Amino acid sequence: MKLYCLSGHPTLPCNVLKFKSTTIMLDCGLDTSSALYFLPLPLVHSPRLSKLPGWVSKDGTVNLEKRELLDLSTVDVILISNYHCMMALPYITEHTGFSGTVYATEPTFQIGRLLMEELVTFMERVPKAHGTSYIDAVDVWSWKRCYNMQEVNSALSKVQLVGYSQKVELFGAVQVTPLSSGYSLGSSNWIIQSHYEKVSYVSGSSLLTTHPQPMDQSSLKNSDVLILTGLTQIPTANPDGMLGEFCSNLAMTIRAGGNVLVPCYSSGVIYDLLECLYQFMDSANLGTTPFYFISPVANSSLEFSQIFAEWLCQNKQSKVYLPEPPFPHAELIQTNKLKHYPSIHGEFSSEFRQPCVVFTGHPSLRFGDVVHFMELWGKSSLNTIIFTEPDFSYLDALAPYQPLAMKCVYCPIDTRLNFHQVSKFLKEVQPLHVVCPEQYTQPPPSQSHRADLMLELQPPPMAYRRCSVLGLPFRRRYERIHLLPELAKSLVPSEIKPGVSVATVSAVLQSKDNKHVLQPVPKPVPVPPSKKRKRLMEEVPDLLSPKPLLSGAVPLEAFLASLHKSGITEVKVEETADGHILHLQAEDALIQLEEDATHIVCDNNEPLRTALRDLVLRFLQKL
Amino acid sequence: MESNCSSLLSAVCEVLPNPKLLLPDDTSLEKLLDWFKDLINHNDGQYIKHYQPCLLEFLHTMTKSEAVDSTVFSFTLKLTGLLASKEDSFNWLQERGVLLHMFDPDSWHEIELWKNASVRGGWLQGLWNMLQYQQAVGFFCKTGLIKLLLSLQNDESFFLSSLTNQILVHVLNLVTLPVLSSSIESDAQTRPPVSTDCRSVTAEVMSHVTRSLSSEEQAAVASGLRLLAVTVEQCRDPVKGQLWEHALEPLEVLVNLHDDSLNLSVMAVLQAAAKSPFFTNPEYKVETLIDAMLYSKNTNESLQCAALILQVDSCPDHLKKKATDVVVRPLLCVTASSTIVQDGCDSLLANQLSQKASCVPLLTQSLSSIADFVFKNSLDDVPIRSITSSVIQLLKMCIGHQPSTFLRTAASHVIGCCKIQKYSLDVLQSLADSKESVDFLQEALTVLLLYLQCPDTHATVFKKTYQAVLKWLGVSSSSPTVLETISHDLYPLLKKLVCDGRWEVRDSTLEFIMQLTAAFKGNPEYNEAFRNSGMISVLLISLSDGESYVQASAVSALGEALTDTPLCASFQEEAVTHLLSILSKDAESFPRRAVMKVFTSWLKSPLSFTGLDNHLSSVLSLGSSDFDWEVKVQTLEIVDMLMDNSLSCSRSSQGRESMKQPLHRLMGLGLFDLLLKCLFDCDRPVSQKACALLIKLRSVLRETDSSEHSDDLTLDISSCSWGEEVLQRFHRKQQPEEWSSVKNGAPDSLKKIHLCEILELLELEDMQCILSLSSDHVINSPRSVMEDILSAAQQSELNVVDCY
Repeated sequence: MKLYCLSGHPTLPCNVLKFKSTTIMLDCGLDTSSALYFLPLPLVHSPRLSKLPGWVSKDGTVNLEKRELLDLSTVDVILISNYHCMMALPYITEHTGFSGTVYATEPTFQIGRLLMEELVTFMERVPKAHGTSYIDAVDVWSWKRCYNMQEVNSALSKVQLVGYSQKVELFGAVQVTPLSSGYSLGSSNWIIQSHYEKVSYVSGSSLLTTHPQPMDQSSLKNSDVLILTGLTQIPTANPDGMLGEFCSNLAMTIRAGGNVLVPCYSSGVIYDLLECLYQFMDSANLGTTPFYFISPVANSSLEFSQIFAEWLCQNKQSKVYLPEPPFPHAELIQTNKLKHYPSIHGEFSSEFRQPCVVFTGHPSLRFGDVVHFMELWGKSSLNTIIFTEPDFSYLDALAPYQPLAMKCVYCPIDTRLNFHQVSKFLKEVQPLHVVCPEQYTQPPPSQSHRADLMLELQPPPMAYRRCSVLGLPFRRRYERIHLLPELAKSLVPSEIKPGVSVATVSAVLQSKDNKHVLQPVPKPVPVPPSKKRKRLMEEVPDLLSPKPLLSGAVPLEAFLASLHKSGITEVKVEETADGHILHLQAEDALIQLEEDATHIVCDNNEPLRTALRDLVLRFLQKL
Repeated sequence: MESNCSSLLSAVCEVLPNPKLLLPDDTSLEKLLDWFKDLINHNDGQYIKHYQPCLLEFLHTMTKSEAVDSTVFSFTLKLTGLLASKEDSFNWLQERGVLLHMFDPDSWHEIELWKNASVRGGWLQGLWNMLQYQQAVGFFCKTGLIKLLLSLQNDESFFLSSLTNQILVHVLNLVTLPVLSSSIESDAQTRPPVSTDCRSVTAEVMSHVTRSLSSEEQAAVASGLRLLAVTVEQCRDPVKGQLWEHALEPLEVLVNLHDDSLNLSVMAVLQAAAKSPFFTNPEYKVETLIDAMLYSKNTNESLQCAALILQVDSCPDHLKKKATDVVVRPLLCVTASSTIVQDGCDSLLANQLSQKASCVPLLTQSLSSIADFVFKNSLDDVPIRSITSSVIQLLKMCIGHQPSTFLRTAASHVIGCCKIQKYSLDVLQSLADSKESVDFLQEALTVLLLYLQCPDTHATVFKKTYQAVLKWLGVSSSSPTVLETISHDLYPLLKKLVCDGRWEVRDSTLEFIMQLTAAFKGNPEYNEAFRNSGMISVLLISLSDGESYVQASAVSALGEALTDTPLCASFQEEAVTHLLSILSKDAESFPRRAVMKVFTSWLKSPLSFTGLDNHLSSVLSLGSSDFDWEVKVQTLEIVDMLMDNSLSCSRSSQGRESMKQPLHRLMGLGLFDLLLKCLFDCDRPVSQKACALLIKLRSVLRETDSSEHSDDLTLDISSCSWGEEVLQRFHRKQQPEEWSSVKNGAPDSLKKIHLCEILELLELEDMQCILSLSSDHVINSPRSVMEDILSAAQQSELNVVDCY
């Protein structure tokens, strides 16, 4: 069993597991941090941005092409754990000869599609001439052109939808099951198991009470190997505290008459932010401040969130039966407090009113409508930009906009497991071995004194980095084999100790489609009398009389008595570490009685040996 | 009324022995006892004479009745003791064998009653009531009741065992009273000699203590220790010393046993001993015992012991020094860098600090003791400097800001631990008072600001942080660096925190702003900084907060900010408008109460509030018609102040002539109408306050010349809510025929009555007297209590009739 690690990014994993005869890819996250090397793509020509000189970035790492580690066309299935971890899907399914199936839950599939659509729209709507102005970076050769809608559609056509706890058979060899992971709508952890082995893949999970269904922990118990990825990226920032920071900075700006810009993804934490603001608005006197959500997929994202009731936490699920929309942003839309637009053109420009709060993408500040707002609001110190997505360094994101008068607040909200929660969780589910990215085995480089920000386990976790190939530390010892009824009927079990019966079996093992069956031995075909055939027959092993297997122990006293009865009287007994040695002095023979073997040593006296052997056999059971 | 009471009492005494009587609980019986106790303690001979025969007869009946209710029986025991506390009744009871019967459970008709805890409680209470003088003590000693009393010392009910301890101390003090022996000698002829019995009582107690302390049963040991602690603390000297000598040997064994569950009880004994003169006597080995606890291998135990020593003021300094070392060690150890490991932190302590389960309790115990002794400033040679820097380091560790200490695992236990943060902030706050604090000012303020910045700081920690900030800012309040910290670092943070999502944080922030303004009152640089910071507008916005507590705090903070700060009139006007709108519209009472307090403080302020003067009548009318009684009382405070300002001022400065104008001004504000309305208010404190003010007003009016009482002081009673009441009182004094005509409609002349006339009519002193009685004075009167009992008895009879 091997694990090929294609990504070194702990929250955007891409690993390939070879288990039994299957090759399973676990997630295919797309690391878009290289976008930070580019200049922002403004919707309208910006003389300031176009005049910016190129600058040399920090050293990038030299990456290995994914294909060199493994032939990706051999991947049988791809399991997706959440919509952030599927953004590279078109690169895999469309350019590698991949011919397998992708498994994902419905919300993951739908929202993933929205995010890809948004990315493609952001890229394609900008005049190409500006799209190429990037600055020097080291590993440019490994970057790729963004995929197009056609590739997205083709990739998504390979997705097969699954529900939580649904068992999916892969070629009869293993069974995969998605479990709720509590992080986002439809996010899942996966169990990959055969009859005797269980591998758990935990990626992007959360124990906080946010909108998704809570994490299913109990099904992850007793795993042989647990692959752990997608812990929080900002372990020092507690989501509740950050949410508080977000609200108070927002309120402070609005009270002072400024605008608030929130660069964010169009799905995920935004739902919680809106819910939190819904409760906070009244106490903070924000009653009339408009909230704008601008994204090509804003409408679909808000609507989709309301229809996936079964994937939501219990509290929200029960609202559906009232019936009420599960998320309060429906009410915000109804009361015109929250308005959503596909872009800044058209309706938005006529309805736009300040001071306001704008939620828009992309969090990297390199493309999307956020670029426009940065240009518009950056010059006033009354305005504030609040970063809530932890994926990008906010200082790097802001670099091309400097000098900037607007206030910048960084309150990354990452609801994924932190180290404290993960150590509790691992104590609870008790896997035999844990595999994780190497970043989790040491404190973050910026806070090397924080021993609490790393995984400390016994036995220590197996760490991987990009391009590692790990042999997973367990050996497969058992395989399930079916016995045909007619063969079973012929068996004669004999009890060797209470409750345990044993029978010998002679059969033919047939293996097909990863299923193994024991069949009765075919009867020998009547042989026509021909010399050649006779020779062939002789080569067939003698199946008819296998030697019986012996079991039991030889009781010393009883054995001595029976020797005595047979006329062997002069016996000298010597105790050894393993049992006894009986020296038959008159016959000059030795009998070594050991726990698992008996030896009779006598010089060329075959009748004596046979007689002694028969005496020994009297005390043993035969199978 | 009293004759009624005595007939009621005899009726009650008749029904009480009835076992079928069903009392809902013993409340009425307890109230009855309180009444008797009151009568007896006040030595009201007449009443006693009145009631005693009936009560004594009741007790006598009770000794004979075979089936009794346990509640009534318990009451009887207490009553017996109470009556026996007076010598004449004692003799009567003893002669008829009532005393012996009551206090000897073996003679009860139902021995099962003793199993009832309330009966045992009654027995103890009765005994305590009785043991007030020599003869009673003699009875106690002679009858051997001590054995029974000692058996209750280990009662399963903690209340009973603790009551027993108190009685034992009382008994020991009585039997060893120095006067006692002389009085015995002098009265030797008339009274039986009790000294032998007394000695045997003392001996019994001592052997009981020794027996308990050496017992195998932990409960017995614990109760023995409790008795020892109480006796060492409260008994007089010869017996206290003897007791200690008896207990010393088993006590030493217990101390060296280091049993966790007995720790606190042993400590209590040692604390009592340390406070007593025993301490200086080496024979009593108190210091040896304390040393054994202090250097115990159980760090928690030694910390507890050290904390206890530090609480004893009379402890010698060398022991306090040892205790301080023990207390400070965990704090110094957890923040130590590797260089001082050897001297500061032994491996045992380091090991305990590395385990989460023991780390937090150890540190909290250490910190709370430090806060205690720093606060008391009880020692001179406490290492204040190292404590201060360690606490600052620990606070940094708690929010993950402190790079490595030598105990890395301990550091991870304290990160985010609210408990340690709170205790550390307490210590830091206390340290602001030390001489050395100036040197740490900048460092302390930096760490405190970090706490205010940290988004994960818990709301309760915020509160503590604010308290500490306030203390530390006071260390050098006039220094320019402090003022710079306030305006550059603190104000921006406060502006953000008043927008926090948690109302507790917003509330503490606004409270802090108020305290800060109060602390820097009169500091012109601070006032300047405050005015320029934009904090006033922040406060004005917070007046509309959704949470009423926060709103109330915003009101108070704004009030404080404007009280002594000269600000432009527009701010004042805006503030008054805001506050008036809260007073008239707000549904919650906290903000309205705060508004009235602010108005009061503004009126008291030497600075003139022109903005408020124009609105005074609206303030008074809104305040007096509020639903909340506190707001109304606060309104009356304002009335009081206005009356004081106008009337006393005019009286003292310009003589009698000038009273006319101020009275008219008050009349114009609607103040007299308000006072009369409040006098008949449904809330007692409001009427009480109004009554007092009206009496004050009346005395002023009586002093002034009647010619000054012009018609302008005439009030139209027909339109007032209190008019009816006044009218009734007016006519009660008139002829009955006139009264009947009024009933059918008051003649015009009666619609208007002069204020002076109204005040004279009202019999204000009587009203004040009635109002001063608590609202339950009727239902708590003995008469009502006895009626309750009788009606319960009647009810029981009816129930019996119904049950067929």
